[in-house]
Amino acid sequence: MPDKQETERAARDLLNQLAVIIRTAQIHNPTNVAVVSSIEKFVHRVNALLAEEGPIELELVGEYFYVNGDRVKFSMEYLLNFDFLQREFRRRQLGSLKFASGVSPEDIQKFVGAFISCPYAPDPFEDLAGALETVKSLDPGKLRKIVEEAQDIRKSVKRTYYNAVSFTKGVMNKIRTGERISMKRAKRVVETMVDTLLDREEFLLGMTAIKNYDEYTFHHSVNVSILSIALGQRLGLTKRALMELGIVALFHDLGKTEIPPEILNKPSQFSEDEWAVIKKHPLWGVKIIFNMKSFDASSVRAAIVAYEHHIHHDHTGYPKVKKLSELDLYSRIVSIADQYDGITSSRVYARNPLSPDRALALMMKRSVTQLDPLLLKFFINLVGIYPVGSLVMLDTKELGIVSGANPSDHMRPKVTVITDGEGKKIEPFTADLMEKGGDGEHLRSVARSLDPNKYKINFADYLL
Amino acid sequence: MSLADEVKFAQELVQVFHRARKNLRMYPVNNPIYARTIEETYRKAEEFLEDYGDLDFHIKQNEILLHGKPVYQSADKEDNFAFFFFKDGLRELLFARGLQQDEMREFLQAISYDFERQGEDEDVVTLLWQRDFEHIKYIIDENFLLEDDAYEEEATARLKEERTEESDLRLAHEDAMKEESAQKGLEIAPLSQNDLAWLVKEIEKDSGDKVPRLVEILFDLYTEQGIPGGDAIKIINEALRYTVENENLASANHILQAARALAEDQGVPENLRRELKQVFVFASSPEIVKIIGDLLDSGGHVQEEVFESYVQRLEKEAISSFITVLGELKTIEARKVFINALAYLGGKDINALARGLSDPRWYIVRNIIYIFRRIGDRRAVEFLVRAAHHGDVRVRMEALRTLGELGGQGVVQTLKDALDDPEATIRTTAARSLGMLKSEPAKKLILARISDKEFPALEFSEKKEYFEVLANWRDQETIDFLMRALKATSFFKKSRTEELKACAAFSLGLLGHKEALSHLHKMRDSKNKLLSEYAYTAIKRIEYAG
Repeated sequence: MPDKQETERAARDLLNQLAVIIRTAQIHNPTNVAVVSSIEKFVHRVNALLAEEGPIELELVGEYFYVNGDRVKFSMEYLLNFDFLQREFRRRQLGSLKFASGVSPEDIQKFVGAFISCPYAPDPFEDLAGALETVKSLDPGKLRKIVEEAQDIRKSVKRTYYNAVSFTKGVMNKIRTGERISMKRAKRVVETMVDTLLDREEFLLGMTAIKNYDEYTFHHSVNVSILSIALGQRLGLTKRALMELGIVALFHDLGKTEIPPEILNKPSQFSEDEWAVIKKHPLWGVKIIFNMKSFDASSVRAAIVAYEHHIHHDHTGYPKVKKLSELDLYSRIVSIADQYDGITSSRVYARNPLSPDRALALMMKRSVTQLDPLLLKFFINLVGIYPVGSLVMLDTKELGIVSGANPSDHMRPKVTVITDGEGKKIEPFTADLMEKGGDGEHLRSVARSLDPNKYKINFADYLL
Repeated sequence: MSLADEVKFAQELVQVFHRARKNLRMYPVNNPIYARTIEETYRKAEEFLEDYGDLDFHIKQNEILLHGKPVYQSADKEDNFAFFFFKDGLRELLFARGLQQDEMREFLQAISYDFERQGEDEDVVTLLWQRDFEHIKYIIDENFLLEDDAYEEEATARLKEERTEESDLRLAHEDAMKEESAQKGLEIAPLSQNDLAWLVKEIEKDSGDKVPRLVEILFDLYTEQGIPGGDAIKIINEALRYTVENENLASANHILQAARALAEDQGVPENLRRELKQVFVFASSPEIVKIIGDLLDSGGHVQEEVFESYVQRLEKEAISSFITVLGELKTIEARKVFINALAYLGGKDINALARGLSDPRWYIVRNIIYIFRRIGDRRAVEFLVRAAHHGDVRVRMEALRTLGELGGQGVVQTLKDALDDPEATIRTTAARSLGMLKSEPAKKLILARISDKEFPALEFSEKKEYFEVLANWRDQETIDFLMRALKATSFFKKSRTEELKACAAFSLGLLGHKEALSHLHKMRDSKNKLLSEYAYTAIKRIEYAG
């Protein structure tokens, strides 16, 4: 019996080979030698798997591919091909492809030919399915709308999120009173966040868009943790590494517990002396981490991140460093998440937050000097042109709040529609902007984005 | 097969798991029982899965259930298998068909983890989570994680206090209808192959040792006085302990090197430089040295040159730590490493090393004397002279040998005294040491001893040792003395005389004295077998040397 890794590798290879065939066929003719050769390899592979496993089904659900019901894990190596395949499947409304025994190169050639020509048809999927009617070994399925109890999922995601916030609040209070912190619990909280992100990324990312002014520090720590884990996942970090990253991100601001409340909660601009105190929090963070936790690999990492998260990519920022060592990967990740959440939130000393898209634009300007440009590129590809929490007007004149990204097409996020075309408040519903009508045209597109902070729109009404 | 059979089998299996947990805690990984336990547990579980399909345990505080039937029950507070899972929030544990032996091994290792000793920061759920099993699933009670039951409800209610008004939406809508209010969309550059190649390198780089970076930070913290000096020193010392515990002496060296650089930096305030001494004191403490000792004893990987470099950075205070721990080491390899370390450190402070001579353990005293010999510092003689009177023969021998190598004041007298020791081994060692001195007084002592009327009564082997020692002097007096002994005749106690002649032949052979050849050839034909053999050997030696 093949082991888990072998099965996963086989599934990844299968998807990758399919993407290669389609890419090559888009450039050349499906009868070209390069295409034929990759088809032959693919057929050989599929038939070997069919002999071993029986019928094989590739399915696209949400943002992931599944092979025979098992999710194919995100692989950095194949990232571009997976994104490509996902995008191309969606363009054709193709949700699944079943392989039965006896797949021949001719069958695949027929599929590729139909696949390439169908996007321009009024109903690409019908066109594709029609072309494959006589091919017994292949059975295409239409892209399914994800039918889930969205409310239940939200409920569980919300619980994960608020539990993390409540835990962080408890940690910070305990540090102030000198009580012991349970690292066991910290790990469990972050494990749940990692699991939730792996399964329901958009829902948990959505929670980070609901800003809480009153309990900013706690929410901010959790948001930074979530955004860091999400970026880490995009970078292909292992589950264990994601947990470590989540914990160090959650603890990045612990040094703030030593800032006197009258400074931390000061509603006006800080004086120079007050800034000097604020700038000490990375140093205090290191001390707190080693006070609350025994020395181990994760506390070493947490201390490094606590110290470095305000040091810029060009080594400006604070604290001032004597030796120009390269910043830790986790510090650079947390720094991006920290900036993004910070400038999109209303804080005591910075009342006017930026809209998510403006925040990203500002961060792009700061890349190279303040932020690692390549990590920022990965981050922007994660959150999209219209990050969760963006207020948008659609081409239908409806207003909506972006509630989820669509990695295969950044222009087409999922949007919670909140008004009708006349601007009248409606019962909110979620629209996936990838959705097409019978004419093959998208039902909705983003026309423009707005600064949500100019209006008293409470995102909690729609995203909670 | 009935439900009752299934439940009975599951009961046995839980007991197998329970026993396996105990065995894995008790035996080291390389013990055959360890491997056998895993294999047998796997086989039993596999058999169950074959017969009955997936095994789905429900966990309660004091019992484990299968299909609602108890398969394990215990009210014990200490050794309660159900509670072990229950306390960490685990409520359901499922083993699926297709379970692999590796999965079983990792599962058993997770449940046999010694949370009290190995790490309080772990719990069984985290250990299972990290392993990401394919055929072992579990369900946890999320309530276990709740810090504050009411927090979510209250926070949500607070957030929803201010409802979005129709008028606000209208205003936003009106603004959005005006083209100029639109924000320019962001342009996203797609990820390229180069980006991914960069990422692969970054992740590879990220697997490196993080301690050096932390050390830089800690010393920055220290000099910037961002946190009180004492706190910073405490953290630096903890970092040091961590690196040593993790067999990372290279990073420990990095810490000591940075501390030394700072301590010698005139730009750093005097009080801070002074405080840094504590880092070296800690690095030299019995606590740290004990960790190193345990590490060496357990076969841990310590690179020789890295360890040497660490020792070279230590203060002389480390000497007493190394001596204390030396006596507790279990392996020869570890003792060798410690002796090398002491040979280096002892050179910094002979007196500190000499304190080890008062150790109640004879083998430690012997090791210290050996270390003195390695160091080769004559200042050690005064301590060794005392050690030459130690109650243990093995210590006395080592002291005499070392005195012979070192030489110096008082040595001859000590060796002379030792020639009267009741132990033959001590007497011969003292004689050999006198030979090493090669001094005139030493020669006189040996000649006097051989000439003593009691000498012939000694064992042949001891007598031979004295004559061998005598060969260290190539002067006429020695040659004449030996030739006299070779030519000696006696009617009484003939055998003893012949033994002495054999010894003289042996010594002359060592000296390569050609003039002795004619006498030796005559002795070759002696009826005394011993004499004949020794004469023959001496002839061969002289002829070969010539």
